Amino acid sequence: MIRYKNWLKIVGFLFVLPALLHLFVFKLYPLIEAFKLSFFKYDLMSPPVFVGLLNYQNLWDNPLFHQSFLNSVIYMLGVSVPEWFLALILALLLNRPMLGRPFIRLAYFIPIAMSQIVVAVIWKFMYHPQGLINTIIGIFGIDRINWLSSEQTALASLIMIGVWRGIPLFGIIYLAGLQSIPKDYHEAAMIDGANVFQRFFYITLPLLLPTVLFVIVISLISSVKVFLNPLVITGGGPNGSTKVLPYFIYETGFTYFRMGEAAAASTILFILIFFLTLFFLKVLKKGDI
Amino acid sequence: MKASSFLRLLLSLLTILGICITLIPFFWMFSTSLKTSSEVFDLPIRWLPSIFQWQNYPLSFSRAAFDVYFKNSLITGIIVTTSNLVFCSLAGYGLAKFDFPLRNFFFKFILCTLMLPLEIILIPTFLIVQQLDLLNTLFGLMLPLVIDGFGIFMMRQFIKDIPNSLIEAARLDGCSEFGIFWRIILPNCKPALGALALLVFRDNWDQFLWPFILASKDALKTFPLGLAQMESVDSTAYQEIMALAVVGIIPMAILFIFFQKAFVRGIALSGLKD
Repeated sequence: MIRYKNWLKIVGFLFVLPALLHLFVFKLYPLIEAFKLSFFKYDLMSPPVFVGLLNYQNLWDNPLFHQSFLNSVIYMLGVSVPEWFLALILALLLNRPMLGRPFIRLAYFIPIAMSQIVVAVIWKFMYHPQGLINTIIGIFGIDRINWLSSEQTALASLIMIGVWRGIPLFGIIYLAGLQSIPKDYHEAAMIDGANVFQRFFYITLPLLLPTVLFVIVISLISSVKVFLNPLVITGGGPNGSTKVLPYFIYETGFTYFRMGEAAAASTILFILIFFLTLFFLKVLKKGDI
Repeated sequence: MKASSFLRLLLSLLTILGICITLIPFFWMFSTSLKTSSEVFDLPIRWLPSIFQWQNYPLSFSRAAFDVYFKNSLITGIIVTTSNLVFCSLAGYGLAKFDFPLRNFFFKFILCTLMLPLEIILIPTFLIVQQLDLLNTLFGLMLPLVIDGFGIFMMRQFIKDIPNSLIEAARLDGCSEFGIFWRIILPNCKPALGALALLVFRDNWDQFLWPFILASKDALKTFPLGLAQMESVDSTAYQEIMALAVVGIIPMAILFIFFQKAFVRGIALSGLKD
């Protein structure tokens, strides 16, 4: 019997083993390696040379890195904070009984199926000075804006795309959370005379907290890794105003072949994600992991 | 009573406004893809072209080897999806129904890998694939993507709810451990497998950064790379770029419309906490 139990332990481990190996080789090892490489000078041609903290020093002295870091933080918060609220509003809207709900949901959710590159080319076209967006704001008497070619608006234009694309996805997640709240809670509160807002703040929101937490963490991670939009839509410009950290890492590594410096920037990006995630988990969950 | 019907009207209007904001970009893409180049920026704007220019579609495809790009995207998508289904359900079963040392540690480790997007580990991953001599190969294009922690997490959550009695009964009947996985677990996971397949295929159809770094040979490019390249080379041929964009969304749009429920369930399942 004991031998059989041990056998089962081995079987269970063997089921997990291939996936574990893959994650070790393609997640854990690269993370350690990125950290290690960040102390070396490496250009893919000559062998790596240990340089201590020089790469970090170079980043610290590089205004472009500071700008990319700042852009990443602005983009991340600019995209995810509106997403938290707008996606919740969307989910609350769609959770009401209404005519043609399946079609309305389909209409809202279909952007989830659209690939990023398609979204990028559509929006780039719409942001054209003579494009759809300027035409629409023209109806309200607003002058043409050079969305993508002005430093003041380029990053904001990319943020709007990010929000637009993220809302349906997080809306679905919220909707699932809303639907898992038992209906009798609301009915009981209604009998006790609680109004819509009281019910939302005292019943819906506390019970939705795990979902909210999940949305916050995922939205932060998925927005900080934006790369395609700055590359295809603005090329990081104008004047570096849409250069975000992943773009900086790509450029440093694969345009200038400064692998060590790119690895140092990756390490800093990791630390940024790690602490932000930790911060929100701690603040919202008060303690346990 | 009056106030509540006013509120209802307001909410309906809000819903409709939201639909417009969501769908107008797609409508605009489709309409532009059928215009002549001189109609593209006509003012006042034309919501519909005067004559549908269907030839934009074959024209746009002839600009580069888009048939090859399309094929590459399909092949890698199908293989990566299949491999994720196999390995994630195996690992999910192991984590959900077996007890072995370090199991919870491994599970936490897998959850932590979800915080590690490719963007962070891009440089070392590239160096690993380079050392394996897999640059500019289809295999190298797929290797880092064939297993993802998200799938393992999702399958584990689902398999946990399958009753243990099913597994015990099969064991008593003398079914092999792999046989249990194959004949009991997998058939009971169909909804989760379907949802996972859709999400993985979508992510892969979307994958840009990795092929962008890895595939410099034209014969290895995927559809998103081709479209980005077209965007930078022929950036004024808007009607053709939009035609390509329309073609690019067709596979996912079809899957989504037919399997909307599975899609939504998959995304919802990913949001449900332990």
